[in-house]
Amino acid sequence: MNKRQPAPRSLTAQLDRLPQWPLYLGILLLYPLLVYPEKVLFQWTEISVGMQLTYIFIYAILALGLNVVVGYTGILHLGIAAFFGIGAYITGILTVPAYPFGIGFVGSLICASLGAALAGLLLGAPTLRLRGDYVAIVTLGFGEVTRFSLRNLEEITAGMRGLNPIPPPTLPAFLATPLSWLGIQNDWALDYRLFYYLALGLLLVVILLLRNLERSRLGRAWVAIREDELAATCMGINAARVKLSAFALGCGLAGMAGCLYATALTSTAGPDAFDFSRSVIMLCCVILGGLGSLRGTLLGVLLLIGFDNVAAPALDGFLQRANINPDDNPWLTFSNWKLMCFGLALILMMRFRPEGLLPSRQVEAELHSEAQLHREGASI
Amino acid sequence: MSRLDVEKLTVRFGGLTAVENVDASVASREIYSIIGPNGAGKTTVFNAITGIYEPTTGKIEFGGRDLARPFTWKVGLAAALVGLATGIAAALFAVNVDALWRATIRRNYAGPGATFSPSAAWADVGNYWRGQLALEPIRGGRWAIRTADARRTLAFAPNRAEAEKLRERYQELIAVAHYERKPNHLRSTTYIDGLVLKSRAGKVLDRFDTEEDLQLALARYEGIYRESAARRRNAWLALIAGIIAGAAGTLTVWSRARRTPEVIARAGIARTFQNIRLFRNMTVLDNVLVAMDRQLKGGVVRMALQTPGIRRQERDACSSATKLLDFVGLADRRHVLAKNLPYGDQRRLEIARALATQPQLVLLDEPAAGMNPAESLELNTLIEAIRGRGHTVMLIEHHMSVVMGISDRIAVLEYGRKIAEGTPEAIRANLKVIAAYLGSEEVT
Repeated sequence: MNKRQPAPRSLTAQLDRLPQWPLYLGILLLYPLLVYPEKVLFQWTEISVGMQLTYIFIYAILALGLNVVVGYTGILHLGIAAFFGIGAYITGILTVPAYPFGIGFVGSLICASLGAALAGLLLGAPTLRLRGDYVAIVTLGFGEVTRFSLRNLEEITAGMRGLNPIPPPTLPAFLATPLSWLGIQNDWALDYRLFYYLALGLLLVVILLLRNLERSRLGRAWVAIREDELAATCMGINAARVKLSAFALGCGLAGMAGCLYATALTSTAGPDAFDFSRSVIMLCCVILGGLGSLRGTLLGVLLLIGFDNVAAPALDGFLQRANINPDDNPWLTFSNWKLMCFGLALILMMRFRPEGLLPSRQVEAELHSEAQLHREGASI
Repeated sequence: MSRLDVEKLTVRFGGLTAVENVDASVASREIYSIIGPNGAGKTTVFNAITGIYEPTTGKIEFGGRDLARPFTWKVGLAAALVGLATGIAAALFAVNVDALWRATIRRNYAGPGATFSPSAAWADVGNYWRGQLALEPIRGGRWAIRTADARRTLAFAPNRAEAEKLRERYQELIAVAHYERKPNHLRSTTYIDGLVLKSRAGKVLDRFDTEEDLQLALARYEGIYRESAARRRNAWLALIAGIIAGAAGTLTVWSRARRTPEVIARAGIARTFQNIRLFRNMTVLDNVLVAMDRQLKGGVVRMALQTPGIRRQERDACSSATKLLDFVGLADRRHVLAKNLPYGDQRRLEIARALATQPQLVLLDEPAAGMNPAESLELNTLIEAIRGRGHTVMLIEHHMSVVMGISDRIAVLEYGRKIAEGTPEAIRANLKVIAAYLGSEEVT
């Protein structure tokens, strides 16, 4: 075996090789504690960037769930919003004061995740043997069925009004004091930061668990199914079971995100919040970032949902204050161009970088092959 | 002892017969080649053996047994459970789950601070099922008497006690109406006295001005009775139909998946493909690790948490996969993506991947396709070495240097039939083979 000697690297090249995630994590952890960015830097946007970041974390969990199904396993899932909605409504039913259950946040988080995963299993078990486009149609149909069920089961879901108010989580007593030192009030309605950290924490846990799964037997089986289902089954992989596990996990994560969403909003927000366009936007996030890539999906969510929730309203507000559009001309309102921008971004992506902004293994494997060979060199 | 027995294998696709009455018996640790012109049905034989195609007729036995999944109690239990779940779901739809929710949860819970008794809710499930009239509080402290599904309101009462009495009365009226409107029924004098409806005890339930009014009221109460009876009937129908459909569906799916490639691979038959089917966007090492899936243990939770046991197992798997890659000569390229390997290496990776499933029998479908003479010579030693590791090898090949050099026995297929079988020397001398396969050049 001819080993290449590692070339001496300059300082900047070495810095480039350092992992970057601690930097991003540090920024996200510190952001709400600093007054400066919210009050000065983003003051012109007139919206709470921190609060919107909370929603971005929640959508990130949703997108990561979708990524397990679409990205890893290659099942085109067009109804993820249905499972997001199922999670939200399970949370609503189990926590609103109008119903006798009132099991609180932690219980509802578990029930919403498991309930959505179960719904995924029930949908997937009979349909995942279909191939390709047919599964997409089934999930698309299920998404619409769920939306109309939520609308029409009025006694259970309160129809178009949605279930509210969903009570905030209760903070464990031992956390209240340290948080007050950081200047965080123990009031979920007044201070977005409690929920910010809750969502960020859950997102980190999800990322960690998915990263572990990605590198395990199951993660490999998912990707193998995506790459070549027949070859994978010929290697002894039970395709039905592997696909079902991906589907259930993806839907479970969507349910978890739904629970967080409903709790953050203190309402299930009505059935139309979980329509087809939500599914498609989440799919766009995953495709934009890079199918099957954790980092890519996170970046995709940050860009698309960040654009949707932060940049577009901020620009709208800016245009209004600058008095560019005194007669309320719809052509001069930025929000009306929003979907156009989404579409344009996707077209450009497909043309110039079809594998996504941060594609997964491809780049990773090629980048690390050299280093890993040297590290493992002794073991052969 | 023979490892694989193929008896009278026939595979038809519609009217086209791809393989007809082929017999083959492969001994343990043998190298058995199948040759024949293109379209002779060689790959179809492989596909039938590995479960990609279902044989139309004929038997394939591996190590003396049929590889189809046996019917166990687990299959029966799964079918029963799926059937029950389907049945219950269908029955819930039939009884109107929305109205049931109102009857059980909403009527038993007044709002924040009120108590909720699960036993009362459970009792209301029974009341809903029987179609009992229900009481619901409305604005101003008044009460409404409604049907169980709350689709009709019969009357209002100023307080609870009054409402209970009214409910009693309407319940009796419904019973009377149901009795009186039976088909071919002669008007009874117990319940109808002129224009007055009475209970069995003789209590006056309702008075009417005209016969028409009386008949209209009877029809209305009868309608309420019929609605709840229809709901019960539909629920039973839905339950039974759901159980049958769910169980039958499960058994159908199971019976179609009795002889899948996965079952066969787990039993110890691995294969490569004529048109290379690697996991192209995975690394070489991962390609091999996927095939080792069966040998790795641990559930989803342990994998997600990466427990020390899982990590150790993963390390061991990596090192044995690396050894296997070393065996085919790809160890130093194990972090390259499979699609970036040169053609010959991709073929060898497919062989390594097949070996990683720890098969007893390896089926190689044209392993030397597209290789130059030097490479195919290397392949010969590789196949010999595979046999040396204790595997039985079955081979489809066109390169005569490979076939004649290493085969113990050769079968020749033409138009789906086996025309000859024997040692390489015998095949070389067989006139039928020469005529059919090697062409007329030799004959002239």
